[in-house]
Amino acid sequence: MIEPKRVLRALAEHWALLEPLCERFDQGTLSLAELRLQLATQQLESTPQDITNLLDVWIRLDILVPVAKSPNRFELNAQIHDFLAYLRREHRLGLCLEIEAYLRHLERLAGHIQDAFDIRDGNDLARQLRLLDMRVRDVLKKLDNDEQALVAVAERAKTSDRQIPLRQRYAEVLATWDEYVEPMIQLVNADGAFEQGVRKVETVLLRLLSEQARLGQLVDDDMLLRTHARILEMQTSAQLTLRHARELLLPLREEARRHNAVTRGAALALSVIRRKGLDAVPHAAMPLFTRPQSTFLGSASQVEAYVYALARFEPKPAQFPKAHKSQKGEPPRAPRTVKEMLERCTDALPMPDLMTWLLEQEPECATDELLYWFSRLSREKRFTRERLERRDYNTREHQVSLRSFALTSSRETPLEPTASTSHAS
Amino acid sequence: MHLDLSELSQLAPIFRELFKGFHISRRDPELYAQLSNFQDQYRGLFRALGFELVCDTRGFYYFVPEQAAAQVNKTAQRLSLFTFILVEHLADQGRDPIAVLDGGSLGRDELPSLLEKYRDLFIQAEVQTPDELEEKIMRRMTQLGFASEENGIYRFLPPMHRFLDVCLSVQQDRDLAASLHSALPLPTPVLVDEDSDEKLLKTDDPLDLGPFDDLDETEEEALARAIAEEQQEIDA
Repeated sequence: MIEPKRVLRALAEHWALLEPLCERFDQGTLSLAELRLQLATQQLESTPQDITNLLDVWIRLDILVPVAKSPNRFELNAQIHDFLAYLRREHRLGLCLEIEAYLRHLERLAGHIQDAFDIRDGNDLARQLRLLDMRVRDVLKKLDNDEQALVAVAERAKTSDRQIPLRQRYAEVLATWDEYVEPMIQLVNADGAFEQGVRKVETVLLRLLSEQARLGQLVDDDMLLRTHARILEMQTSAQLTLRHARELLLPLREEARRHNAVTRGAALALSVIRRKGLDAVPHAAMPLFTRPQSTFLGSASQVEAYVYALARFEPKPAQFPKAHKSQKGEPPRAPRTVKEMLERCTDALPMPDLMTWLLEQEPECATDELLYWFSRLSREKRFTRERLERRDYNTREHQVSLRSFALTSSRETPLEPTASTSHAS
Repeated sequence: MHLDLSELSQLAPIFRELFKGFHISRRDPELYAQLSNFQDQYRGLFRALGFELVCDTRGFYYFVPEQAAAQVNKTAQRLSLFTFILVEHLADQGRDPIAVLDGGSLGRDELPSLLEKYRDLFIQAEVQTPDELEEKIMRRMTQLGFASEENGIYRFLPPMHRFLDVCLSVQQDRDLAASLHSALPLPTPVLVDEDSDEKLLKTDDPLDLGPFDDLDETEEEALARAIAEEQQEIDA
């Protein structure tokens, strides 16, 4: 028989060595050599003999136990391991089946309580009630432990390296969901084992209370009421734990599922594109967005200018003057291209007033075309523009009132970081 | 609905950005805060003007074009393709694609190897060089508010969820999966009309290797194409 005080004293004395060892033992068993190495790294000044003595003490106190059929490998005594985990506030997720087993046991105890009352055995009734109370406390303790363990599962998933594959990162979450949360949902369901067990025990306790009132007391009513209250606490606690588990893990599980769906979708789309081309991706799935700068001010002659700028464009055959007719006026002028206008505009920088310049350059130009050039040139990113006061300008046919721009080269003056220009192409 | 325009202090910049196709997210705190605080007002006002403001709960706003005028353009296809590639590439590397595409970042120096690895796919989107990848995809992403670029690092913003949603909807598309797994499309019987041999050669089979008909471009089509090309050149 090992004296508890000696075990506790050894734990307290060697806590600095045992705590790091706990983490190693969480992963599995350790060989004698591994144990010695681990301790040697923690106690640099100790001799091999010191380490042997230390291990000897732990083995004699049953803190370390040899692994069955492998006498050279050791593990922490399961009881000590649990105790240390409790002290280190570490929680290992239990099994849902354990709770179910406890519930079945509570139902059996309710039966024993009923029997003891029926035969009017006060002592046995009190004993069974105490046992019931202790079992309910066990369930509460377990639910609390499980809840802490679930928090730790979620924490680990959230804080693990973002660069590792999501499947690995959330493997524990998915396993926990399948092995704990899902069965718990079944268990705590309205017609699940938990609710049935609680209802059965509750019925027995309430009947006992009313029978005691009628037949006389075998045990203190307070004891029955306290047990009943604890049963209800257990029920609420189970529902809260489950709700908490769902809140913690469901978003992570959904994220993992979504991740899988996105990756699968992308792979599917790429294989379709490889085999059938870019148009094979269903258009309904594609995002629609307004084309940047989808609108521009243009005129009929502008369209002609675009086409003229193209190398392969052949103008319509010129109408040759007939011999008997003399040509009236000047020959039609080729339309201006954007490139040409930009170059002319660049040469004229700095420009105090764009609209005045346009009117000087193109006095015969139609108003709509002038406005097109005004809009096009003022939006050109190689120029920095500055708004002028509103005034009237006279084109060949109209009087136009607008706020013109003064233009300078944007290479000379840094561009003003305004919202209107920051995203312009 | 009563609208107090003095409350909508950022109306002009918000409209300008949304109209350009930009997605406003927390990256633009001032505009985003305005939209969040006066979401209903902005939505009502824009709706009256004929623009549908989408308020995505994942933290971004954008205009959805009218269905009639909407068509999947090259940019949407390119950006979707890039997202598919990036998701697969990151998953292959053992990295978490969602962590990268939802607020994570990608170095510009990773682009050339990505292009090399998926050259066959990028070619379909007319992207062949690292410059083209930057120009046609990464720059478009920043212009539309899907990503931001700083010191050679692209940071992906919440609107990327629109492309992740494409992955999800593709994954749920059973027809697409089925069409991929069937080796060949189901053959449809071709009825011989009179005794014309030519019709025998015509099938609806996409794998038909017969020569294409000569595609004669009409004058109008050529003009439309030329205008589109010129416009793209100017935009770029």
